Amino acid sequence: METATVLPAAIPATEMTETPSRRVFPYHLLERPDDELVDRFLEAFGRVLEFTDYKPLLDSYRRSNTKCNRCAVACPVLQASGDPKDIPCYRTNLLLDIYERYFTLDGWFKSRLTNAFELTEEIIDEMGDIFYRCTACRRCTRVCPLGFDHGLITRLGRYLLSLIGIVPKALQVSVQEQLEGETHNTSKVPRAGLIDVLEFLAEEMEEMLGVELEFPTDKVDRDYVFFCAVSDYLMEPDTLMGNAAVLYASGDWDRWTIGLCNYDGINYGLFYSDWHLENIIKQLVSEVDRLRGRNILIGECGHASRAAHDFVPTFMGRKAPPVLNFMEYTLDCIRKGRITLDPNVITERVTYHDPCNIARSGWIIEQPREIIRSFIGDFVEMTPKGSDNLCCGGGGGLVSIDEMHEFRMEIAGKMKAEQLRQTGAEIVVAPCANCKKQLKELVDYYELPCRVMGLHDLILQAIEIPGGISPMERKEQAALYAI
Amino acid sequence: MEAWLDFARGPLFAFTFGIMLAGLCRQVALQIYFLSVNKGRRLKEVPWMTMVRDSLSWVIPIRHIEPGTKIFSIASFLMHIGLIIVPLFLLDHVVRWERFLGLNLPAIGKGVADILTLLTIACSLLLLAYRTFRARHRMVSGPMDYFLLMLLLLPFVSGYLAAHPAINPAPWDVMMLTHILSAEALFIMVPASKLAHVVLFFFDRISAVHWQLRPGAGDKVAEALFGEEAKI
Repeated sequence: METATVLPAAIPATEMTETPSRRVFPYHLLERPDDELVDRFLEAFGRVLEFTDYKPLLDSYRRSNTKCNRCAVACPVLQASGDPKDIPCYRTNLLLDIYERYFTLDGWFKSRLTNAFELTEEIIDEMGDIFYRCTACRRCTRVCPLGFDHGLITRLGRYLLSLIGIVPKALQVSVQEQLEGETHNTSKVPRAGLIDVLEFLAEEMEEMLGVELEFPTDKVDRDYVFFCAVSDYLMEPDTLMGNAAVLYASGDWDRWTIGLCNYDGINYGLFYSDWHLENIIKQLVSEVDRLRGRNILIGECGHASRAAHDFVPTFMGRKAPPVLNFMEYTLDCIRKGRITLDPNVITERVTYHDPCNIARSGWIIEQPREIIRSFIGDFVEMTPKGSDNLCCGGGGGLVSIDEMHEFRMEIAGKMKAEQLRQTGAEIVVAPCANCKKQLKELVDYYELPCRVMGLHDLILQAIEIPGGISPMERKEQAALYAI
Repeated sequence: MEAWLDFARGPLFAFTFGIMLAGLCRQVALQIYFLSVNKGRRLKEVPWMTMVRDSLSWVIPIRHIEPGTKIFSIASFLMHIGLIIVPLFLLDHVVRWERFLGLNLPAIGKGVADILTLLTIACSLLLLAYRTFRARHRMVSGPMDYFLLMLLLLPFVSGYLAAHPAINPAPWDVMMLTHILSAEALFIMVPASKLAHVVLFFFDRISAVHWQLRPGAGDKVAEALFGEEAKI
């Protein structure tokens, strides 16, 4: 499955980045990295230490790195690959060794007295490989007795690599378009295209729900400015219509808007770059400021929610508008009786996948379960679940890297596929654009007997619309269409 | 030999113990300094109670025993119990602590101390075996990881043998000197090696603090590396 431009066109293997002494990275690069990578890497590392706050973290980790290897049992990638280079603390240690050798006094002394570690191009190549075999799901952190955040170290490693030009093309072209392109979004959806999609969605909703509505765009002074993963406008119409249905049924239709200058919640900076992370956040907030919005409402996307929830306050300080994930908004409406979901519509067995970014690294575990239990009778949990969940295998931006499809299927997502199979569920709810794409590919690849949907896709089916067609009638109509 | 023992038990003990304390205090002070200077007001945003609760849950880590790590985790836990209790609460050590620091610690019985010592030795050997014979452990192990485990074994083995003349193959004073010197070597190594996790444990666990990135830092890095028109 392809999005418009998030994913680059496949490049023939012969064109892949390669030099005689250097291995082929598992992803395409936009440009071949220059020579003198070692010097440039160390210069970049030095600058990062100079201007950021990573130094105490690296000092603490290098001084207490017991390398007990417990993280190995928690890593779904390692469990499937069996390759010791996927051990989280091995990966972390690569960066700590470089830090110790080149940026600490005792490391410098050690290098004078012994045949100490030296950074080579081969080690940079190895980092370029293994830092992108990690899905940054941070499951290993939960089992580390010292709480080492290998996900954070992986992110730092990727940041340093990006500063010397080693970054997957898929991520790089996306953020370049988002920050410097005309459309300011990762899928290159133009404003006219967005308006077309919204008109199409309004027509669909009118036909389906029996109510006439127009999506509010560029309205000022609204309570909620809505951002979703922009690819949802192209690939997940049901999720968006579900979001819209909740806003309509709750009576909040005049309290929200979609900005037309910036409508993309995606922030790949979360996965590899402080610079991109901050500038994308600023772009998001400037759109909210332009519209004089009061809250940021993020659609069903794990990393977009985490990036906005955690980093809008970090980078914007007191000016930060509150950030809300759409599931929080929906749950609030259910609790206050502002929307009603018909419990008789969804009869299939449903399970729920916890996106890492909002469950383990976030604050959303029970909220979606409460929503699901309010209208779905046959709900089964995965094992493990919640903050101990298994990553879908496409985290950390890997899902956008088409050329890593085989890795995502055969290794990173292998345990997840087995976990899905064991639930026996017919519907897998995954409230995250990245997880949804990866899980749909896993379902196809392993021929699993289930469908992957967003939570609001199901809500769209079950929601009572004031003055509209009832959910059961809609279900009957849909059954007739199917025949 | 008696003079050597007195020297090891007296000035050398004070010196090495002082180095350990000073080294660990330095580590803690540096962490607090960097965090307060670098993070400042952003420290308020961090979920401290969650992190404290999470850290305390590892004091008795029963619920953290994961499938696939059971033997390793239990061995590691028992080793740490012995490492903390025997040096602090063995009767002979309690007497030393009282003389040296004026501390009045409760003492454990000789039988308990013997069991804990043997457990610590057995568990350390098991961990050493893991590092030696299991590929995944070997992959992440360097010379220092093996050295420290063996250094850690030395005061326990020598102490046990010194306390049990029947199985002690060497003269008592030689074994006791080995015991004291190896413990003192360990004191020196604590702040200078990964054993510093004895105090850095909590600082390692506060990654939520480190996720509070510094505003504007990314721009400065880009500008320093690529100039004002930075495009990365």
